[in-house]
Amino acid sequence: MSSPCRASLILLAFILLAGCDREKRGMTHEPKPETMAFVPSGDPRASDYENNAFQMSQGQRLFMWMNCVGCHAHGGGGMGPPLMDDKWRYGGRMEDIVYTILNGRPNGMPPFKGRLTEQQAWQLASYVRSLSAQPRQDVLYSRSDEMSITEPATLKERNAIMNEPPAPGHGPGK
Amino acid sequence: MRSRPSVRSRATFLAAAACILLPLPASQIHAAANGARPAPAATAPEDGQWTMPSKDYASTRYSGLDQINRQNVARLKLTLSWDTGSRKGQEAPPLVVGSTMYLTMPFPNNIIAIDLAAKPRPAVKWVFRPNPRPMSQGVACCDVVNRGAVYANGRLFFNTLDGQVIALDAASGKAVWRTQVGNIMKGETITMSPLVAEGKVIVGDSGGEFGVRGWLMALDAASGKVAWKAFHTGPDKDVLIGPDFHPYYAADRGKDLGVHSWPADAWKIGGGTAWGWVSYDPQLKMIFYGTGNPGPWNPEQRPGDNKWTTGVFARDIATGRARWFYQSTPHDLYDHDDINEQILLDMPVRGQMRQVLVRPARNGYLYVIDRKSGQVYSADPYGYINSASGVDLRTGRLIPVPSKAPQEGRVVRNIGPTASGAKDWNPGAFSPRTGLIYLPHENLCMDEGVMEANYISGTPYLGADAKMYAGPGGNRGFLTAWDPVRRKAAWKIREDLPLWSPALATGGDVVFYGTMDGWFKAIDALTGKLLWRAKLDSGIIGQPITYRGPDGRQYVALVSGVGGWAGAIVSGPLDPGDPSAALGFVNAVRDLPKRTQAGGRLYVFALPR
Amino acid sequence: MRRRLLLPIPLFVLVSGCAGIQSVSDDAGRESGLIWSLFVLFGIVTAIFYVAVIAFLIAAYWRRGGSNQDGLPDEGGVTRERSLRTAFFLWTGAVIGSLSLLALASYFTDRGLASVNPENKPMVGIDLVANQWWWDVRYHYDDPSQNIRTANEIHLPAGVPAMISLKSNDVIHSFWVPNLAGKQDLIPGRINDIVLMPRRIGHYRAQCAEYCGLQHAHMALDVIVESPADFQRWEAAQRQPAPAPATPLAQAGYAYVTSRECSTCHNIAGTNANGTVAPDLTHVAGRRTIAAGTLPMNRAGLYAWIADPQGAKPGNNMPTVGLNADELHAVAAYLETLK
Repeated sequence: MSSPCRASLILLAFILLAGCDREKRGMTHEPKPETMAFVPSGDPRASDYENNAFQMSQGQRLFMWMNCVGCHAHGGGGMGPPLMDDKWRYGGRMEDIVYTILNGRPNGMPPFKGRLTEQQAWQLASYVRSLSAQPRQDVLYSRSDEMSITEPATLKERNAIMNEPPAPGHGPGK
Repeated sequence: MRSRPSVRSRATFLAAAACILLPLPASQIHAAANGARPAPAATAPEDGQWTMPSKDYASTRYSGLDQINRQNVARLKLTLSWDTGSRKGQEAPPLVVGSTMYLTMPFPNNIIAIDLAAKPRPAVKWVFRPNPRPMSQGVACCDVVNRGAVYANGRLFFNTLDGQVIALDAASGKAVWRTQVGNIMKGETITMSPLVAEGKVIVGDSGGEFGVRGWLMALDAASGKVAWKAFHTGPDKDVLIGPDFHPYYAADRGKDLGVHSWPADAWKIGGGTAWGWVSYDPQLKMIFYGTGNPGPWNPEQRPGDNKWTTGVFARDIATGRARWFYQSTPHDLYDHDDINEQILLDMPVRGQMRQVLVRPARNGYLYVIDRKSGQVYSADPYGYINSASGVDLRTGRLIPVPSKAPQEGRVVRNIGPTASGAKDWNPGAFSPRTGLIYLPHENLCMDEGVMEANYISGTPYLGADAKMYAGPGGNRGFLTAWDPVRRKAAWKIREDLPLWSPALATGGDVVFYGTMDGWFKAIDALTGKLLWRAKLDSGIIGQPITYRGPDGRQYVALVSGVGGWAGAIVSGPLDPGDPSAALGFVNAVRDLPKRTQAGGRLYVFALPR
Repeated sequence: MRRRLLLPIPLFVLVSGCAGIQSVSDDAGRESGLIWSLFVLFGIVTAIFYVAVIAFLIAAYWRRGGSNQDGLPDEGGVTRERSLRTAFFLWTGAVIGSLSLLALASYFTDRGLASVNPENKPMVGIDLVANQWWWDVRYHYDDPSQNIRTANEIHLPAGVPAMISLKSNDVIHSFWVPNLAGKQDLIPGRINDIVLMPRRIGHYRAQCAEYCGLQHAHMALDVIVESPADFQRWEAAQRQPAPAPATPLAQAGYAYVTSRECSTCHNIAGTNANGTVAPDLTHVAGRRTIAAGTLPMNRAGLYAWIADPQGAKPGNNMPTVGLNADELHAVAAYLETLK
């Protein structure tokens, strides 16, 4: 085997391995994500969930199933505020979104603690962040599951999220 | 953007306008009328006040005041403008009783009393703050609107978003009683304006997008105690259906249809709310009102006729017992809530005078229904419809077009009318002088895809993605002057934006309405010619009224404040980057944020002294 | 009967080795019977030809040699040519004849399949919706309040045709009950119909027959063909709401299931659990398996599934809820009562 050929094979192997990281599914015998207590700022799970295509696509499914879509539409909002812009009332980091999903907010966001598992809240947060193209480009999906004609996340322009990091303490906010 | 009366040809229009502009004696106008008049028992002699949003029990929205008329309306001037501080959709009218004006605000539902006789200028008399629970904002489907308070016997009755009915002493602004009737944890809010008659306060719930079980109830106006409550799904005893229930059509007869026309248990979360308008005929002692959409929007999850949703009920006001029911949209496919106004008229039908109610339904048909029997005399399209091919008057049934029926997993394109209907909640006005009904409505179509909706209590129960856009012709709204006797439009005004504000007709033969980009317009009731207009700070979805002020002059008033389902893109604000936002309405009004802004000012106009 | 006929042919032996609850060599349904008869006919005809060709080949090999190699005509060449010509015509006739036979047989089988319900009998109406990776089963009737919803199990009355509308919520799946009929795909956004005409009472196993993701293999469907009387009893039982929990343990389980994570996705008729995106659990304990044929429906299966769904069926949409031991006992005890 000639050396350029060998080199390209090694390169291919690397590319494939990189792909594995994107698609990694922490399904079995990885108790970390389930049993750990939620850390309000700097939770180590945040990047695991955010930069994983599988978790994000599970989040997309849950976004429909948990009726998030009824209020927030596909990011443009309706009964609830838009999620695809850069304005976040209660902080737009993964931890903030998980907190919001689980505990609700006083102006209408219902709490989902006890209705969703924490893992599902993380998956949802990952998808919510993808609506404004916050996660890594190679993790974003190039096609949405929904039937409307929203722009694929990979084509969205990324705007840094406002008030990031949020006010400490995770109080109920205004 | 400019409104253009679209009479067949411009030449005939000009000719008509030219001869109409000549002053006509009043008697001649009466002779030209088509014989339709409001139900006499449901109207009162003109007293220059405005005590309920619909003006009278017949829901005419007509005031006999004629100081402002076709000839002088062009000189109308602003006499008062005051910022209410609200920035949400303002669908409620000001009320004027004696020399006091009462404003009803969207969430947080404050009531503001303004002393119109105060010197040197009108001043706030009192403000009542009900402080509804903020959580209720999350279960209000289409902005946090309120459609107005009602004045009766020294009291103001109104509803709060979080499901309370409150009676205030109109003089002092102190609560007399407050009764919690809705449960926001299930998604029950109240946005409607109550109807007060015979010592009862009639109230219904909102929340058809949340899988609530719709109801209408009567509270005792004196004490606030619930007198009766009628559900709109479920067994007959809950719906208050008994031996005196005599629907005209066979499809509405049978035992417990509210159970048997649903999959098991689906009726418990089946919607059928009553958030619209109630009319009352004091002669028959019957109320008439429509029921909302069945839930979820996805029709495949609820095979059957889904009784008693999307239809009109006639009930005895004292007991709540149902007298008849007509389902205009059995097995609703498109969220066609049937909650629009019913205008009670006595008019000739095929040569015979009949007591009827006229209702421009959301499905695009204008129904003329006998008040006593529930028989449908006619159902004519007043807007663009391609999702139904007609109404079978023998069976009373709407005939749907199968190719436009939503199906799980696929998108059906170009459905007309949209989920918001050919006309939504915003009622038309009837002028007994012209015999015409002035209908502000929409001209939109939509693409819709449905999927299985999951029921989680207190969250939306929809299962649909929609995207709305302008209908045929490219204009998104119409003001149609409908002749109910001749069963056709006398004329139409094309409006660029959907019309979300109700109309007001006056004895001066002027019709007032507003547009979502903030133009308040006065048109000629006979021809539709634009006579006057003023640009307000924010878009108009509110109800214009007219009254005689303490100084004896005629005033026209309304509160601006764009919002509601149609204007949520501005009041939200929502992101136009997602066409499905606000259940698809955002796509139809993407240009609105550039043309108006959120607001909420009271405007009062009058002729210069 | 037929099976005995085929014994000499190895291929057929292999196929009949699959006999049982999931077998193509069965005529428990009208449709599978037709297909199987056609298959047998094809097998016989092609086997005859195969044997004939091999026989001629061997014969030709043995009769090779002779003195024809110099190119001169040998004696008797004319006679041989004549008999060869006869053989040629016979052979061609046999090929054309049998091909026509097969074509006709295919045609009539196809017509037969197209009219599975020739007498136009009233049919059982079922919507079968495929999901990753389970089957949502909905029986519908003229009176919608009689509709039945279950999962991963279809009951059919013998001798009554069943019209099954096939839908999918995510990707393309395929519905295949080999004992009863051929395959039919379930495609998102489309409705495919298949009519089954089960003839023999029994329990059969269907399997998703189109690769649909990680747990494609764990997407089985139990098909129970029973007498019309038994079927009616089953229908009546399915229409009942879930029984109220009797024991304190089951009551605790009821409280958890109907108020917590479970009720977000699952439906249990007659309770506050109204979710629609996961299998209906109203009568889950009356079914044979859990998670589309992944685990048997018994106490051990319930514990295994609820405690660690991702261990039993990695990648499926049931989350690990993280119940503590008391909650697990209670939830399993309650689900066991849902007969």
